[in-house]
Amino acid sequence: MADASGARLLLARLALQNLGRRRIRTGLLVAAVALSSAIAFAGAVIMRSIESSMSVGFSRLGADLMVVPLDALTHLTAALLVVEPSDSTLPADLLATGKAPGIARAAPQRVLRTDRSGIGTHGESVDLIGFDPLDDFTVQPWITERLPGAMGPRDVIVGSARTARLGTELVLFGTPFRVYGKLSATGVGTHERGIFLSSNSLLALAPAIQTQTGTLPPMLRPDRVSGFLLQLAPGARELQVRFALLSHHPQIKVVAGGSLLTGIRQGLSALLSGAVVLVALMFGSTAVMVGVLFSAIVSERRAELGLLKAIGARRGQIIGLTVLEAMMATAAGGVFGVVAGALLLRLFERSLVFHLTQMGVPFLWLDRLDMALSAGLCLVAAALVGMVGAFIPSLRASRREPYDLVRGDG
Amino acid sequence: MLICEGLSKTYDTDRGPVAAIRGVDLTVNAGRYAAIIGRSGSGKSSLMAMIGGLSRPSAGCVKVAGTDLWSLGADARARFRARNIGYVFQFASLLPTLRALDNVALPLLLDGRGQGARERAAALLEEMGLGAHLDAFPSEMSAGEQRRVVIARALVGDPVLLLADEPTSDLDEETEREIMGLLERANRARGTTLVLVTHNLALAAQAEQVIQVADGAVAP
Repeated sequence: MADASGARLLLARLALQNLGRRRIRTGLLVAAVALSSAIAFAGAVIMRSIESSMSVGFSRLGADLMVVPLDALTHLTAALLVVEPSDSTLPADLLATGKAPGIARAAPQRVLRTDRSGIGTHGESVDLIGFDPLDDFTVQPWITERLPGAMGPRDVIVGSARTARLGTELVLFGTPFRVYGKLSATGVGTHERGIFLSSNSLLALAPAIQTQTGTLPPMLRPDRVSGFLLQLAPGARELQVRFALLSHHPQIKVVAGGSLLTGIRQGLSALLSGAVVLVALMFGSTAVMVGVLFSAIVSERRAELGLLKAIGARRGQIIGLTVLEAMMATAAGGVFGVVAGALLLRLFERSLVFHLTQMGVPFLWLDRLDMALSAGLCLVAAALVGMVGAFIPSLRASRREPYDLVRGDG
Repeated sequence: MLICEGLSKTYDTDRGPVAAIRGVDLTVNAGRYAAIIGRSGSGKSSLMAMIGGLSRPSAGCVKVAGTDLWSLGADARARFRARNIGYVFQFASLLPTLRALDNVALPLLLDGRGQGARERAAALLEEMGLGAHLDAFPSEMSAGEQRRVVIARALVGDPVLLLADEPTSDLDEETEREIMGLLERANRARGTTLVLVTHNLALAAQAEQVIQVADGAVAP
């Protein structure tokens, strides 16, 4: 065991010394891989940061489409779609039974406007908005502060205009709720003073509401909802989805959000996927370059490899020596690349990100663990590039007869 | 004992197959000193490469100490070479990045016999008169010193067969005598079978057995 590790140590030393023999060539190889790694690392971190910023930013932009009853009023703002409270409702399983293609997510909402909830002293009107926390993509992205843990059945989220502090009690129709979270300012009245709770919690209030008001509002029936907020799947066209929905459900109204924003969302998703492919291609081309370089190196060192084989080096050792040499160079390139990439990120942070933040556009960096993982992945990819690039030339050399290599044939 | 039976080597060239060695049979008894002589291009180096397990024959077999070299797999043959055959090539065959000591210990290290390898290498270098050059790199040594390091490396695994292919062709007469003296001493003192390939008839005259190769065949 110790002897085998001695042989491995010797080969590692030989590989390192071989790199030192041609410093300019090694330096250029390291620089080439470092450049690729720097771009890949910085690119990956920026792309993933943009992606997470987008996921927050775009989800705050609301839904692409809204499905409401034909006679319902809608309040369309540039960024958010809000169902105006009304007694018109839709079947809760409307989209489950006739779901149109092209819909990525559908979030049902129940909106009840009431002045008898018990909030305030003068019969204050309040919108109670029931949503399904699991399907929701328009309410929760606006939460600026929340209590630890998941939202429970006795928790509510309040709009930014409400002064209730987190953790305090809020009584709705005689039932105490805990203020779990608070939204930031949305610019939409319904949301600013609204109280958001899970649909199940809102439905659980139905008997008390019926007692207080004398009627059961239709959206509080378990099989009815006020409307649906929809997000389109990547590539789906708004018009096609709208047409498909209307053809199946003539009793509904389909309202579009900002089609420009939908286009940007879909386009940026495609751009990010394309950037990932470009990074992969860049590493691929570096691997080809390493392969060409190591073909030349193996050719240059035929006599030495032949000598090693002659005095007892086995095929695996010949492959190991060459591949290790390449991996050492490309891994070193990976290390330099990650450092250079980190400097690029710093530059990016101090320029573009600073300006975006000044303009009020949120930019969320990856957390440290994810960033360290990205760096680690870049290092592994760089080392793999060396391994892949040098494998074929070393395999070919290992298959040659020692005498042919010593004579420099082929 | 070294035995070759029906050994042939044919190279494929653009102008068709060329027979470098044709049906060679030879035997060299254990501990003997044999010289393979012949003119340039007669096939003596090709013959030595097949004997040493460095080049696969087109036909025939080579047995070294009872083992048919070419019936072994590539890795087993490599291991056999490391343990049983020492080589002295006609060029300075040292790894330039390793010190003399590591160059000599290399066959043992590659074979996983690292325990005491450097001590054994140091003793051999002392024996070759290179005690002061253990840490020297090849570029810091003369051609004669380098050749002595190569001989030490060939002997480090206690081989049964020592193959030397024109080991002194690029050396001056005095150094040639030194090198041949070392090879002959290894043959006599260690009982290692020595096969020397040379075109120098004066050197061949010192051998106990002379094998003349002409046009790829052993001359009668």
